[in-house]
Amino acid sequence: MFSGLLGTLVEQLRKLPGIGTKTAQRLAMHIVSGDKQYALDLASVLKEAAENYRKCTVCNMLTEYDVCSYCADTTRDESQLCIVQSTQDVYLLENMHEYRGYYFVLEHLLSPLDGMGLEEIHFGALQQLVASRTIDELILALNPSTEGESTMNFLADQLAASVGSITRLSTGIPFGGDIEYTSSMTLVNAFKRRYHV
Amino acid sequence: MEQYRNFDAQDFTFAPQGALIIGENGSGKTNILEAINYCAFGKSVRNSFDEELIGFSKAYFRIVAAFSSGEESRKITAAYDKKRKVVTCNDVTLDRISELYRYIRTVYFSPEDIGIISGAPTMRRTFLDQAISQYAFLYLQEYRRFFRVLKQRNALLKKELSFQEKKAWDREFIESSAIIYQNRQEYLTSFIPLLCEKYHEISGGAETVTVQYKHAFPCRDGDDYIGQLTAYLASVEEREWEAQRTLCGPHLDDLIFFLDGHNMRRFGSQGQKRSLAIAARLTQAMLILERNQDPPILMFDDVLADLDNHRAANIIQMLTGDHQIFIATPHPGGYTDFQLPIINLDKIL
Ligand SMILES: [Zn+2]
Repeated sequence: MFSGLLGTLVEQLRKLPGIGTKTAQRLAMHIVSGDKQYALDLASVLKEAAENYRKCTVCNMLTEYDVCSYCADTTRDESQLCIVQSTQDVYLLENMHEYRGYYFVLEHLLSPLDGMGLEEIHFGALQQLVASRTIDELILALNPSTEGESTMNFLADQLAASVGSITRLSTGIPFGGDIEYTSSMTLVNAFKRRYHV
Repeated sequence: MEQYRNFDAQDFTFAPQGALIIGENGSGKTNILEAINYCAFGKSVRNSFDEELIGFSKAYFRIVAAFSSGEESRKITAAYDKKRKVVTCNDVTLDRISELYRYIRTVYFSPEDIGIISGAPTMRRTFLDQAISQYAFLYLQEYRRFFRVLKQRNALLKKELSFQEKKAWDREFIESSAIIYQNRQEYLTSFIPLLCEKYHEISGGAETVTVQYKHAFPCRDGDDYIGQLTAYLASVEEREWEAQRTLCGPHLDDLIFFLDGHNMRRFGSQGQKRSLAIAARLTQAMLILERNQDPPILMFDDVLADLDNHRAANIIQMLTGDHQIFIATPHPGGYTDFQLPIINLDKIL
């Protein structure tokens, strides 16, 4: 049923995250049978985005420029640097409108099982960046998974001497959460990082 | 049961008090108990692979079971087709099969339970970790986390030396180990005195049962666990790089059972070991009942046969909760006192 160009299109769409065969077939049918102009516009924006997006030479975030708009913004607070795993995390944090410092994107977390080590998390580049600035607060905004925790342990150990202080996002009981149904690991974390009210 | 072991398509309805399942060897008595247990653990209690549960030359098996307790009723289904395993509770597919621990609790008295006392250490760890998971559901989360960290750490030890990276994983490993140890220690605090009591009731003897938690490294209980584990890991760093794996931690710990100070594994008689294993399962059941106010289903797979009638009667009588009880045996004679409805497989099949 899906042969020739249509078959190739289905195959390519299926490689996208979260897209199964059924959905890929539906999307492919929609692209070839629907509005021609829409399909051509989609193709050209795909091409342009793919050609133009690259990693920021300072922070690794995906951007259309060699240096991203955050790194290029000299009005931001140079005394704060926030470490995140992905470009998406930068957008999430920016949406809060709370933080005005700079970012660094690791792209990966330490995970020996997946072959992710110091090179993969761009530790060398991070070290250089930290050395070139006077940082009062290094914020570790990584997921509290085993891999995230180990990466935070590692960064805290290695960078403690080069920055004023190191903080991490508090992990604890979610709003509306119930202590009885909270795992003891979460509870331990929440307790360790309790604060004055 | 559909294409499950020797049952092609078979329905059973069990009375609230349970059933005495009788039949020749090979009639499938244990298979019924195994299927009920499958709804509690999501796998075979006999450690069979899912493939082995599919009927001969069939493509899949399915178990559909309705449970009710008080006001609550649940339908559990489990199916496997050699590719995928799907487990549902009230028609909702479970993301994690271990969620079953929340819903159905069973205690299976197996003829192999003697291994809890005198088998390989892994049998005791499995017994302990499974019992804690039924008692405190959240333990499973910590347990999974611990094994994830352990796997990562072992993978790291197989790579070229990276002391800084290792330090980061060591901290996770130590914290996670401490949580596992603390949970086990807490469980044993309730478990040991009850075990001692149950053993006396079964054996009629007055020997003192003690259980020692044996760490896989020199560790004094009561002292700072994290400090001791940290120091030990530092001292075996070279050896771990060489061995390319983690050489200590809760995944290697063990339990030792003593009877009046004598190591049961070496000095206990078969009868004593068997009685103690049954006492351990009974204690597991009592603690589930105490914690969840819901009596677990008890299944005796021919384990009472080796004890004399008097002891077997003792065991059944000491069950205080409204347990549903299943007894599978080829010799129904010894169980006539219990007045359980009889299911005779030789007549059904
Ligand atoms: Zn940038």
